[in-house]
Amino acid sequence: MKRRLIAALVVSLVLSASLLAAEEAAKLLGDESDGSRALPIHRIPLFSVSEKGEKAPQIDPNDPLAMPFSTRFTCGECHTYGAISKGWHFNSLDSNVPAGRPGEPWLYFNSKLGIQLPLSYRAWPGAYRPEQFGLSLAEFTKVFARHMPGGGPGEATPSDAGERADQYVSGKLEANCLACHNAHPGQDQGGADGYAIQVSKTNFRWAAAASCEFADVSGSVTDAGPTYDPFMPDETEEKAPRMSYDKKAFDAKGNVFMEIVREAPKQRCYFCHSDLFCGENDEKTEKWCADEDIHMTAGLTCVDCHRNGLDHNIVRGYEGETADSNSPMAAVTSCRGCHLGDENGNRETGGRLGAPVPLHKGIPTVHFERLTCTACHSGPWPTDRPVLAKTSRAHRLGTINVPKEPRVLPHVWAPVFVKEAVADPNSTAKIGPHKLVWPAFWGTVDANDVVKPVELAVVTDVVGAALKDIPVAATGDWSELKEEQIGQVLKALGESGRQKPVYITGGMLFELDDAGAVTSRADHPAAAPYAWALAHNVRPAAQSLGVGKCTVCHSTKSAFFFGKVTVDSPVAALANLTKTQYEFQKASHARTWFFAFSFVFRPWFKVVAIGATAVIGIVLLLYGLKALGAVAKVLSEQE
Amino acid sequence: MFQTVAILALLVTFIGIALHWVLTPAGGPRCPLSGAVHVFSLLLIEQKSSLLGALKKLCYLVAAVCFVVLAFTGFWPVLVQGKHITGFFMYIHATFAPVFALCLAILAITWAGSNRFTFADAPWLTRLLRRVTRLRVPVDNHPWRCSVAVYKVAFWLILFLALPLILSIVVSMFHLLGTDWQHFTLAAHRWISLVFAIAVIVHTYLAIRLRMACRE
Repeated sequence: MKRRLIAALVVSLVLSASLLAAEEAAKLLGDESDGSRALPIHRIPLFSVSEKGEKAPQIDPNDPLAMPFSTRFTCGECHTYGAISKGWHFNSLDSNVPAGRPGEPWLYFNSKLGIQLPLSYRAWPGAYRPEQFGLSLAEFTKVFARHMPGGGPGEATPSDAGERADQYVSGKLEANCLACHNAHPGQDQGGADGYAIQVSKTNFRWAAAASCEFADVSGSVTDAGPTYDPFMPDETEEKAPRMSYDKKAFDAKGNVFMEIVREAPKQRCYFCHSDLFCGENDEKTEKWCADEDIHMTAGLTCVDCHRNGLDHNIVRGYEGETADSNSPMAAVTSCRGCHLGDENGNRETGGRLGAPVPLHKGIPTVHFERLTCTACHSGPWPTDRPVLAKTSRAHRLGTINVPKEPRVLPHVWAPVFVKEAVADPNSTAKIGPHKLVWPAFWGTVDANDVVKPVELAVVTDVVGAALKDIPVAATGDWSELKEEQIGQVLKALGESGRQKPVYITGGMLFELDDAGAVTSRADHPAAAPYAWALAHNVRPAAQSLGVGKCTVCHSTKSAFFFGKVTVDSPVAALANLTKTQYEFQKASHARTWFFAFSFVFRPWFKVVAIGATAVIGIVLLLYGLKALGAVAKVLSEQE
Repeated sequence: MFQTVAILALLVTFIGIALHWVLTPAGGPRCPLSGAVHVFSLLLIEQKSSLLGALKKLCYLVAAVCFVVLAFTGFWPVLVQGKHITGFFMYIHATFAPVFALCLAILAITWAGSNRFTFADAPWLTRLLRRVTRLRVPVDNHPWRCSVAVYKVAFWLILFLALPLILSIVVSMFHLLGTDWQHFTLAAHRWISLVFAIAVIVHTYLAIRLRMACRE
């Protein structure tokens, strides 16, 4: 018995040792840095993916039927693709990954159908999962992956057999390493034949290759015939996707020199992370009139703060991220981490990268407990009415034929100063600047008063038919809806088999009463706006809120507390509704107004307090001197 | 830490006063209501019915009310709710504070003279001086009244503490101090206010006792 036990122990030890060794051996050439800061040269062979999803032989640029190179097998030669594709930019489908602070959702909008719906695979409160809206993985990818670096929903295998068959043709949208790491100016994410266009044509397999500077793709899966098989291409099939490589880019060994950089250049990040703020009266603004983030001006790049290792779990950079992330840099690359020291109070991290350590002279410390750093330092200067903002992902900035009208949907408002929800009940919720959208969608309400959106296909058919006569705004703005039209649509949805149909818009829920008349309810949770934190652009310290004057925020007319946020809706009756900023801060009007008003008397308070102190000081000095005189008299030994 | 220390300190103060009241009875009515009226009137009875006397009475009354409001709004959130002063508590606190400072300044001028220390306040000091200097320092043969001495000490302590108490907040309103010093001044304000409150409580208690003693 004892011998058997020892034998089992030895076997298990040997097995674990060999497993460990195998794991060690599994590390690829580029998985671990040797410490050199020099740029590794990428003169590499290209590989495509085979019909069975395996690595195909090296690509020959002279092959007229050459397949697009696969990043999984090309980049994966030296970098563990499996680890990278679990990074933040690719892991939205993984329910085991903490959702973290709510971020920018994908906004599906249709002005004529009255839809503006935040979608996300992450469990962000207020955002709906795409499948709830009837979007399959492929449909979601086709609409939104134009501003994704691939992977995630584009690479997941669908459970439906039909969708799997479609994916056999379109291929998987692999993580596009080039989207971030190709420093060549020819990297085309949003151009006429670039990545975004390929995605919209369902050319998922070809998208990454099409984006690089030495390859070109013509045709599309959408236009290809029903018998098209990418692995058995028919040369007569003219509309099917076809790959061509620039032969001059290949050396004698068939390798290609790629201008790959470790740290993604800021222009690459900007493709998905740009924004533009319109004027206070919805007037157009020009990018050249706006300043860049002060960190960029100072010479930093995005990845100086938003860092990641091989696992590509990039630091998002918000306070409290350590609770959601295991990145060792999460605590030290937030605003506070660089400028003040990390969240654990380690001051030695403050001042990294030349970050000025602020003294915050004259700012009461309560500000640091109640406000995020961004509240005073980031985003556009608050105005009486938050302005319309455009973002890359919401308005597909940087792609071709982007509508440039200020009021084009989706309507994103900024800056709105919202008190952030905190998961930890022991930590204080802070107020910070946010971008905000008012959800608008057709849905159904169940017995528990929970609203779910009606699937897009149904909305397109039923709502589209009911609203076919409403005029479309040329500016891309909402097509105006009247209450009776809402009633018609709700009835049509009811007749199509949808139980208790509702319409959510402008913070209201519209439904039909028993008599068939349209009624509305305010403050339904499903109608609440979706807001996500705005961190950039960071303004210089001299342009922070409150510099020099407390009354920038603490006055009864300040934009910070009393700015009017437009309640956005296609419904004409809700067109002029607004909500005041303090409502998003969960503050009462009386308290906010009273506090702001008290600042009128603050100079008087200072004068009275200083005057009283002076008088008391003089009395103390006077009687102190008298006491000293008495003591001196005694000590001089006079009678 | 402040919460614990402050609760203990205030408890000790109130228990000490209660014990002193019981162990050295000062007489007066036993009914709580009439006792309260009695005590309240005692605070005023010493004053003269001149214009200045009326001003003193008014100042003292306003200062007393302000102190109660400031102490309640300042200590309640910290000691009971375990959080920083905020919201309406802070607004009320900040509104009453300058009034209190003003009254305190007036009381400092009007009361300082009568609170000067004399040799009668410290007979042991007189004896020490005589022994050290061999001078004929006048000796007061009346029995030493500890209450008077403590009463005066409390008065001067109140005035002395009022300076950092007010300045610690006023200075933080100017663009002078960075975050670390802001934390320091806030902590200083908190700790000084505790000692200040105890001094005021002791002073008020002794004022009542002395008035009652005078009446008898």
